[in-house]
Amino acid sequence: MNFKTIGLVIGREYNTRVRKKSFLILTFVVPILFAAMMVLPSLIMLNTKEKTKEVAVVDQSGIVMPFLENGQAANWYDYSTEDPEELKGRLDELGKDILVVISPLDSASSVSVATYSTKPAGVDFAESLSGRVSDAVEDYRIKSYNIKGLDEILSNVKARIHVQEFTLGEDGKETISESGIFMIISMVLGMLIYIFVAMFSGMVMGSVIEEKSSRVVEVLVSSVKSIDLMFGKIIGVALVALTQFALWIVLTLAIVGIGGAAFGPKLLQKMQGSDAMEQTAQMAAMGTGFNIQDAVATMEDSGLKTILTTLGNIHWGQLIIAFLVYFVLGYLLYASLFAAVGSAVENESDSQQLQLPITIPLIIGFFIALMAMRNPYSQVVWWGSMIPFTSPIVMLARIPYGVPGWELILSVAILIATFALCAWASAKIYRAGILIFGKKSTWADLWKWLKQK
Amino acid sequence: MALIECKEVCKSFGTKVALDHVNLDFQEGRITGLLGPNGAGKTTLIRIINRITIPSGGEILFRGKPITQEDVARIGYMPEERGLYRKMKVGEQALYLARLKGMSRTDAIAALKDWFVRFGIQDWWGKKVEELSKGMAQKLQFITTVVHKPALMILDEPFSGFDPVNADLVRKEILRFRDEGATIILSTHDMGSVEELCNDIALINRSHLIISGDVQEIRRRYGNDNIEIEYTDAEGRHTEVLPRETAGNSTLKSFIDKGITVNSYRELMPRMNDIFISLVTNSGEEAPAAE
Repeated sequence: MNFKTIGLVIGREYNTRVRKKSFLILTFVVPILFAAMMVLPSLIMLNTKEKTKEVAVVDQSGIVMPFLENGQAANWYDYSTEDPEELKGRLDELGKDILVVISPLDSASSVSVATYSTKPAGVDFAESLSGRVSDAVEDYRIKSYNIKGLDEILSNVKARIHVQEFTLGEDGKETISESGIFMIISMVLGMLIYIFVAMFSGMVMGSVIEEKSSRVVEVLVSSVKSIDLMFGKIIGVALVALTQFALWIVLTLAIVGIGGAAFGPKLLQKMQGSDAMEQTAQMAAMGTGFNIQDAVATMEDSGLKTILTTLGNIHWGQLIIAFLVYFVLGYLLYASLFAAVGSAVENESDSQQLQLPITIPLIIGFFIALMAMRNPYSQVVWWGSMIPFTSPIVMLARIPYGVPGWELILSVAILIATFALCAWASAKIYRAGILIFGKKSTWADLWKWLKQK
Repeated sequence: MALIECKEVCKSFGTKVALDHVNLDFQEGRITGLLGPNGAGKTTLIRIINRITIPSGGEILFRGKPITQEDVARIGYMPEERGLYRKMKVGEQALYLARLKGMSRTDAIAALKDWFVRFGIQDWWGKKVEELSKGMAQKLQFITTVVHKPALMILDEPFSGFDPVNADLVRKEILRFRDEGATIILSTHDMGSVEELCNDIALINRSHLIISGDVQEIRRRYGNDNIEIEYTDAEGRHTEVLPRETAGNSTLKSFIDKGITVNSYRELMPRMNDIFISLVTNSGEEAPAAE
């Protein structure tokens, strides 16, 4: 290998790519999407909780009103003495959003409920109303049995169970977990690595085809060894990918940081109500520094706490390192294969047929990763995370659920060995392929070039 | 002295024979025209010299030794199918190719600027190649081929796509390189350029070398050995073509004795074009058309 020429090839590949418009656009659009993915759920939560509904109630049964407690979702106002028909026209004037009319108790000790509003009241509202009215009716019916000491019995009987999931760590310590979160992270990782490997190794193929179809290669091979040319390209594009990742991470953090500082305090105020000053500081810290554990400490016992605890318990460092290692190795493996395919064709459209045998394992890997998301401990998934052509994608999908160290090492070792073998084979195919013009090559030709001395 | 010697070079693609035991020397410091109809095997020979194609038999010697990758790395090769990165800027591209040929960054920039000025294309430095016309791209291709002052240049159809002015510009540069000692292999169909530029020719037809050697010698060999005399007598200007035997000094003397003014007396040499056609058509049936 000649390091001077390989350096020149890498430099050209890198410089022309990072200056492309498409690179700039991707660099700025993706972080906005990432940031939106991280921030939107909070914003939606903020906005849905923001508006407390003002509700006028005409309780003709006389039993429901005590069950309507004012809360975050709604404030209830008793208008039972007024005429519902007349109230319908006066909602705006009274400053109420919704009119609820509860019918008198019928012979079966039941009521019917109707709501009137200018804007749809929403499913959540209807559900919570239905729950409260049901409680009231059940309570009325039980009371009609005239059981002694009923109130005491009821308060003893009532139960509200919240299910908390725990996963046992290797040290036997229990960690709060939520499989939903693992599933999402697993899916995102599997998808990202699939997209990136396909995208960047496709770039290598495009670059090989460009050089061949424009015949630049004929001039190049006299001064550059074909193996230097191929690896120069692969390394150049890898550096483009890593640059892009670095920019994405920095820009996403910046956007989330700014967004967190702007919206964070408001969000926390809504969730906790008081102590705004302290929380503002906490939230800002979360937005900029991602100190999830700290943020969790300030949260009340809620679903959000579980989510944040789970997020906090995931080994982010390990995850990012694993992502980079598997991306780089998976990319190197596929990029060398795509380079070999690219060397055999003169334009992109001819490459379809030759590409198929190497895109299929990539797609299979993606589907196994989808399986891993639901059932991370199945046999197929285990093998998928060992077989080198699928392991970068499948292993990444497994990682959030925890993977023993020896399996990681074995899988990476297999991947490296396979890459070495494929790189050697691809270099041979590439050397012959780039200089064959004017005929459509098949896999049989590639095989012939591989065997050629 | 021969810079490049082709010894018994053979190449076949499957059952098709592209070159059949070709023995040919390219002399140092001379321009050799590599001629032949389409599909004769010229490009295959060029690619074998460039080590792009591996010969099926025979070998290529460079200064008497088998040619190596290091020898090839310095060759200035302009392929028939032009190769430039369409999306790259002109200057960057020229710089990249020059540096791959071993020039340092500063040397390459200085030499390229010089060439760009000489070819009147200074303003193209920042343009993209895809914006250039065919002739413009051709100029750039020529510059990138020769900017590192190669001792050996292989130019495949260097004039195609040029207007007469630019073709002349390139022609002069080629002659200048020759005068500075470069060895040049010129593959072309333009017989005018062959007469004007080449010291030697080699004609390949249907994978065989038919003839090679000094251009003047060959022209003489294939001529009818006629002399053209132009003279002015009382009736006006006349031109007469006579065989050499009858156009000797005695004939001239008789003109002078009669008081006729001899305006010109020259050996009639056949045009390369005619030699080419007669050699190609006589050496076999019609040449295959496809490259």
